[in-house]
Amino acid sequence: MIRSLATALGPASAAPLRRLLALLAAAAAAQGTAYALLVPLIQNLLGDRPAAALPWLAWFAAATAGYAALTWWAQNLAFGLGQDVARVLHDRLGEKVIGLPLGWFTPARTGELSRLASQSVLQLMNVPAHLLRPVVTATVTPLVVASVLLVVEPRLGAAVAVAAPLLALTLWWSNRAVASADAARHHVMDDAAARIVEFAKSQPLLRAYGRTAREHRLLDDALTAQGRADRALLHRVVPGLVAFGFAVRALLGTVLLLGVHLALGGDLDAATLVAVLVLAVRFTEPLATAAELGASLRMAAGNLAGVNRVLDAATLPEPVRPQRPETTEVVFDDVRFGYDDRPVLRGVGFTLPEKSMTALVGPSGAGKTTVARLLARFWDVQAGAVRIGGVDVRDIAGADLSARVSFVFQDVYLFDGTLADNIRLGRPDATDDEVREAAGRAGLDDVLAALPAGLRTPVGEGGTALSGGQRQRVSIARALLKRAPIVVLDEATASLDPEADAAVQTAVAALARRATLLVIAHRLQTVRAADQILVLSDGRISERGTHADLADGAGLYASFWRERAEAEGWRLVGG
Amino acid sequence: MTDTDAPRPLTTILGPIRGQLAAAIVLQTAASAAGIGMLVAMAEIGKRLLDPAADGTVWAVALAGAGAALASVLLAAAANVVTHLADTALQLRLRRGLADRLGRVPLSWYGGRGSGQVKKVVHDDVQAMHYLVAHTVLDVTSVVVAPVAALTYLATVDWRLALVCTLPLAAGAALFRHAMAGAGPKMAAYGRAAREINSAAVEFVDGIAVLKTFGRAGAAHRRFREAADAFSDFFARWAAGTTAVTTTSQLVVTAPVVLLVVLASGLPAAVAGWIPPSALVAFILLAPAVAAPVAGIGTRVQALRTGLTAAGDVAALLDEPADSRRIEPVQPVGTTVRLDDVGFSYDGTSRVLEGVNLELAPGTVTALVGPSGAGKTTVARLIAGLHEPTTGTVTVGGADIGDLDPALLHRTVGFVLQEVILLRASIADNIALARPHATRAEIEAAARAAQIHDRIAAQPGGYDAVVGVDVSLSGGEAQRLSIARALLADAPVMVLDEATAYADPHAEAQIQRALSALAAGRTLLVIAHRLASVRTADQIVVLDHGRVVERGRHDDLLAADGRYARMWRAQETTTPVAAGGKKEAP
Repeated sequence: MIRSLATALGPASAAPLRRLLALLAAAAAAQGTAYALLVPLIQNLLGDRPAAALPWLAWFAAATAGYAALTWWAQNLAFGLGQDVARVLHDRLGEKVIGLPLGWFTPARTGELSRLASQSVLQLMNVPAHLLRPVVTATVTPLVVASVLLVVEPRLGAAVAVAAPLLALTLWWSNRAVASADAARHHVMDDAAARIVEFAKSQPLLRAYGRTAREHRLLDDALTAQGRADRALLHRVVPGLVAFGFAVRALLGTVLLLGVHLALGGDLDAATLVAVLVLAVRFTEPLATAAELGASLRMAAGNLAGVNRVLDAATLPEPVRPQRPETTEVVFDDVRFGYDDRPVLRGVGFTLPEKSMTALVGPSGAGKTTVARLLARFWDVQAGAVRIGGVDVRDIAGADLSARVSFVFQDVYLFDGTLADNIRLGRPDATDDEVREAAGRAGLDDVLAALPAGLRTPVGEGGTALSGGQRQRVSIARALLKRAPIVVLDEATASLDPEADAAVQTAVAALARRATLLVIAHRLQTVRAADQILVLSDGRISERGTHADLADGAGLYASFWRERAEAEGWRLVGG
Repeated sequence: MTDTDAPRPLTTILGPIRGQLAAAIVLQTAASAAGIGMLVAMAEIGKRLLDPAADGTVWAVALAGAGAALASVLLAAAANVVTHLADTALQLRLRRGLADRLGRVPLSWYGGRGSGQVKKVVHDDVQAMHYLVAHTVLDVTSVVVAPVAALTYLATVDWRLALVCTLPLAAGAALFRHAMAGAGPKMAAYGRAAREINSAAVEFVDGIAVLKTFGRAGAAHRRFREAADAFSDFFARWAAGTTAVTTTSQLVVTAPVVLLVVLASGLPAAVAGWIPPSALVAFILLAPAVAAPVAGIGTRVQALRTGLTAAGDVAALLDEPADSRRIEPVQPVGTTVRLDDVGFSYDGTSRVLEGVNLELAPGTVTALVGPSGAGKTTVARLIAGLHEPTTGTVTVGGADIGDLDPALLHRTVGFVLQEVILLRASIADNIALARPHATRAEIEAAARAAQIHDRIAAQPGGYDAVVGVDVSLSGGEAQRLSIARALLADAPVMVLDEATAYADPHAEAQIQRALSALAAGRTLLVIAHRLASVRTADQIVVLDHGRVVERGRHDDLLAADGRYARMWRAQETTTPVAAGGKKEAP
């Protein structure tokens, strides 16, 4: 854990961390020394001349004072380091996130990342002050005490020395057993909770179909099964929980019985036996304290592993000598790309001529969105190249590339601010009039008319105050305002009503006149209006041309077209 | 939720396992006392060995000490078994109770919360209760019992020195209280700072992809950094004020310091002959155990508080008032659905629907059209009985749907909603939701009619594949599965929320074929997005801002040249006539 903490904090914090560890080790050694000094103290106290114990008390006091001073110093350092943990980790995570490729940000990863950047970092702040000390103490103090025992009473000392690794082993095993049993229990609990959350989320459906909790067999079966699994796990949890306590007591019991046997046999004087018993108890105490921290240690290790995973993620290399493309012609040159060894694009080649509109069509899962994202360098291609104006996107500076390409995604992110703030994201220095004009061209006029505060209406966290169609139009307005020379549009007009739809279509047509436009097209009218149609299937461009070229052929596009025409002609048959 | 008295969550939630918890506490008390008993045995052995007269009893005490050690472990194990068994029983009980309550609260209850809050209670809080019941209760018990037992024994050895033993404890406790004094507002400020960094982090991370595409990642990063810096500064100020006190409170209860205090007063006393040297041995062995718990008391109190808060939140959800709807078996006559002067509001202030009148006569097709946000989906949800109208009535066959047995209502009116919900269950179970006892043949027939059978049959698990685990369905496939569900339910009245655009035309054609199969021979209410598809409807109802603004047949509405005509023309221009071709639809 100490190593992964050092990794997470980076080289700048290595020196204070080392200093803290050294101080903690010194404090623990001073504690062990103080305990060792109890041996002559007790021997003298119980001997013929108790007064001879008094100088040892002075030594004991000195060792304790040393221990207290070192601990004081270490704790102050630890609290300071705790603050550094927050500062350094927030900084490092923030910097890292800026540099990560867009393709890294899957929903699962962003969920974990926001948890790491907040909760995990706050929990990790406690590591230097509250976890490192018990861990170091549990290692160093017993070592010192065991060495002293070996000198004072070799036979009993040997028993403790032999038991030490066994105790450590038991602690390790019981922590692991509890961790795995707890993980299994959490799995069981998570599963049951997921069922209930699903049940809650599905209420409209379940009520529409007349299912209540009692009648919803799926749920109750699952809950009962969870109960059984939970009970079945007990035999794994409890041994782990009591194993270490058992080992400690077994060791102390052994030392006690062995010591009494030796003492009664005359091989050991009473005073030394008492001193040995005291040391044996002191030997186990730091271990027991550390044992209680098992859960915190597991949590810290998990948090650190998460932080280090993010910090280790590969970033896209920025070009050493960035080039600026002269034109906005986009070329995909035999592009190959896949996710986790699953090839998606197997040699995609096409050209988007300047200021033209290209429609990309194909069955779902063909890789249309992947093509769009490679254009904006969400990831780097695995073979081939994506070029803008003849320049490989890998040779264009990140900021320059993002200034040139504008995106309208299906999943629209709005931040907590007003409508105007969200639209102005496209161009921060845009005037109010420009924002209003972009909103109008994106078909937002009737939405704004219905809102008393108009563009100054707050959209709510994540844009929850707006409907899906309204969010979509905000995202279009943003892209219009940005005036990037290359626009990629993932068309999803399902949530637009006819009038808004018409407005958006007009806006898109206007875009096509002044920008190089790539549309992932779902609608026939978009496809027909395109200068070029690309059909993507099986990871390749299988057909290309205009609607007139393709519609009467025997290819995929022609069959799509016929099916679509059939769907358009669909009528509800009443009566 | 009206309960404000603190013990209520404990009685409602922990009540059923009170007996087990009490037993576990007794067992843990005995276990902790036995653990101290072993130390006592060590002290007693020392005393007896030093006093030759007592020789004979040494072995007995040693065996008693070893026995106490063993007993301590066994009792602790037993205590753990009891709490874990109690926890298991409690979890099942809580989950059942929560599920039952979630199935009966009014749907509007979900509107104000979202699944995040439900998840917090059924997931995080129930988990926190596991720690409270299975772990924290025992933890707190041992932290209290061990020092009390140790101190009790030490008082019998020498009460004056026992008093000295409590000094570090008292000092530690006082310092701890001092450190905690004023912690209330500080904790609140900490909470605020932590929440601020939390929301800055969420916004930073959630928005980063979009912000990067606009070249604006720097701005969000600045906000996150500012929040992070503010938090660090706040924490630095707080720590600067408390580090000394906190560190001292921990130091005074460590074993070396406690031993120093005891020895500094006890050793001179023993040298002076005021107490027997062997008495001091008992203190060296046991005194550290008296003060030690203070070091860990903060985290225990915190754990206890967290657990009790969680219990309170779980109790609050269990106490949520259920839907007030009466269920009296009223028999509907026929299947006509009527909305009479219906008004509806989700929040009690802004009206979503106002004065809506609508009749779905048997065998007719009604189309509901209008801009998004006009209230179309709300009409469908009212007919589904998912909400009660705020004013007016919704009736089926003359009976208020609020008075209908829900099962009867749902045998009469079926739904295909645009937002498809699939359960993490087999495909067959998902289709058979309305008729759990449907045969496989019936399920397959419905799937065939809904154009989804081939897709199901083509994948490995077939109808037994679990949705979301073995198989993930595309939007269009999920839609067809929900149509199969409605087909199997076979209700005479069907409410359809028509979906329009799909990832590929092939999927859309299949969905439309499936819907045609579903529509045949039923009373239909269609929420239409594409006007062309409902041109032949018996009545078209135009909804705008919650009111019916027009109704009639297609040709009449076009002739009236109102809202509908405008919508129709807008849609015409987006169909591909501009390119000069004729409209494809026949």
